[in-house]
Amino acid sequence: MDPAEIAPRVRDLLAQVMDVPPASVGPGFSSESTAAWTSLNHLMLISQLEDEFEVIFSNQEIRDLISFDRIVEAVGRRLDPRT
Amino acid sequence: MSLEPPIDATILQRIAAGVATGQRWSGYHAAARVLEGIAPERVPDSIRARVAILGSFTLEPFLPVLRVEAARMGLWLEIYLAPYGQYLSELLDAGSGLYRFQPQVTFLAVDGDVLWNQRWTELPPLRSEAVVGGLLTPLFAGLDVFDRAGSGIVVVNDFVLPRRSTEGVNAFRRKGTFAHTIAHANKHLRLRLALREHTFLFPLADVVAQVGRHHAFNWRTHYRGHVTWSDGLMATVAQRYVGFALAVLGKATKCIVLDLDDTLWGGVLGEDGPDGIALGPQWPGSEFLDFQRELLDLQRQGILLAVCSKNNESEALAVLRTHPSMLIREEQLAAHRINWEDKATNVYSLARELNIGLDHMLLIDDNPHERAWVRQQIPELRVPDMPSDPSLFADWVGSLASLIVLQQTADDSQRTRQYREARTREAYRGSVGTVEEFLRGLGLRVGVQVVDEDSMGRVVQLLAKTNQFNLTSRRYDATTLRRQVTSGAWRVYTMRVADCFGDFGLTGVAIAAPGPDVWHLDSFLMSCRVIGKSVETALLARIAAEARGSGASALSAEFLDSGRNQVASTFLANHGFTRTEGDRWLRSLDAPGPQWPEWIEAVRSDVSETRSADRAGATR
Repeated sequence: MDPAEIAPRVRDLLAQVMDVPPASVGPGFSSESTAAWTSLNHLMLISQLEDEFEVIFSNQEIRDLISFDRIVEAVGRRLDPRT
Repeated sequence: MSLEPPIDATILQRIAAGVATGQRWSGYHAAARVLEGIAPERVPDSIRARVAILGSFTLEPFLPVLRVEAARMGLWLEIYLAPYGQYLSELLDAGSGLYRFQPQVTFLAVDGDVLWNQRWTELPPLRSEAVVGGLLTPLFAGLDVFDRAGSGIVVVNDFVLPRRSTEGVNAFRRKGTFAHTIAHANKHLRLRLALREHTFLFPLADVVAQVGRHHAFNWRTHYRGHVTWSDGLMATVAQRYVGFALAVLGKATKCIVLDLDDTLWGGVLGEDGPDGIALGPQWPGSEFLDFQRELLDLQRQGILLAVCSKNNESEALAVLRTHPSMLIREEQLAAHRINWEDKATNVYSLARELNIGLDHMLLIDDNPHERAWVRQQIPELRVPDMPSDPSLFADWVGSLASLIVLQQTADDSQRTRQYREARTREAYRGSVGTVEEFLRGLGLRVGVQVVDEDSMGRVVQLLAKTNQFNLTSRRYDATTLRRQVTSGAWRVYTMRVADCFGDFGLTGVAIAAPGPDVWHLDSFLMSCRVIGKSVETALLARIAAEARGSGASALSAEFLDSGRNQVASTFLANHGFTRTEGDRWLRSLDAPGPQWPEWIEAVRSDVSETRSADRAGATR
């Protein structure tokens, strides 16, 4: 997958799960600044990302994926055939 | 008070239409936020349902899915979710949030994990009885509390084998294996639930089989956060849950309107001829027989079947009457429209003849153009999309959420016959002059009794389903009725009606709250089948006589406009009531009447010979 395709799809998923307009999701968007980013929504977000990109995150990644930037980066890493 | 316009079912359906069935959870979640954002005061009672969910696992993610699937069927939900892990304590404590919420439907979503996990704390040989008892005994103690303190119906799922077994090829020889324990638990659950009338079994194992076990459970979210149901299972369970809510609100489908060509048989009668259509025990044709069997199963539960087909009537009726393989015969149809009129016009005409609201009818037609046309003409009619492959029809019809019949009473199996009698009666009405002449000629017989255990099921059903001739449209369950009758707060009257053309069965209910001076009519309703026969006057006359006998000096009543009960709007004024304030009406009993109509024969109990036979076959 083209890395450029990842960010818009992550943005749409984050917007749906965290109940914000897609335009407000971008670099800097994180759990700290988002009231709806509860532990349950985090759990559901991870599983939606796993289904969307057909990847499975490690326990460490699941704990770390608390911002738009980190998610885009982690998905890119998972999908990169070189890693 | 909100200035925004009220929400209707169409608005809810439009919101839900943004989410395809079975779409990923995040789509449901986003659409559900829109539904949650609707101010409750904008939602009329007629499209609201109060639903409680008690689970043994994390069910928060299920709520958005349930909200959206309910909106798809035109319902807006108020949901109570019990705190995590507290389903038993909520059920057992009569003061819990569950009971304060007063739900119309309570869903108990209990997994079988406890049955599985406890096995590893015991040494072999394992036994099923103890572990099953450990789960079911407190559960049923909770349901006993619900009987006394709860409202509405309870729906409990059966237990599902969550994964493959490692107990070996000899497991089938032993008791106490996991498969045996699950089967044992389900058997006891079924037997004990069957004894309770407002408690229903939710066939989760069947739903899991439909979704496929591999796709039904999400083990990653299960281990990470006790979210066991996959997105797909949540959607399918939600659709079936909504069916229960529709039924409790009296919104389930009452009549299925069927196309003929390529729907009840394969091929086009007008082109292929009666010998050329596909219908019979061999393929092609066997798939249509199976479809007809499923439809007849629904008919036996009380859902009417009608036909609406573009065909030459005589040719189509000949197939219905004489085709050797046809299972749905003319006698099984409450009505039919076989002509070349457009289908929307015919559906309107069927609705008028059967006196059933269009929103209680469902059209099954293989032709997508016909479906689109009728949908556009009659938005409130249910017109589900159906598979284009006839071999899937029989399984598909079982997936329709609105085809749920909660109370099946002796009257249900008689219903098609009653509609057929009505046609004869209408023909007679056309042949006589005045209304009174017509009524005198009918040979009406009416029996008014107080409710008993035999009639309770039918009374609850009428309370739930009657929309037209209904003064207050209040819905009560059997528990509430029993409690009020036992305490002496209410007298619940039933009315059975028959005439020379046939028996209508138990078709009227009145609830009176007797006071020392005034008797109040809490509810007064009758089935649309007996509207226009003056029998409501008989029922009121009987109540007035009893009130007088007890020393009361007046009857009070209410007329609450539900938007659908216009037919009952003049009843109070026509029977000597005067409006006091708002919805309240009063009638002095010092003035004579209301008189029992002289053309109605009062019968002590049975209105017809057939009642004892009815009762023998009654299922409650």
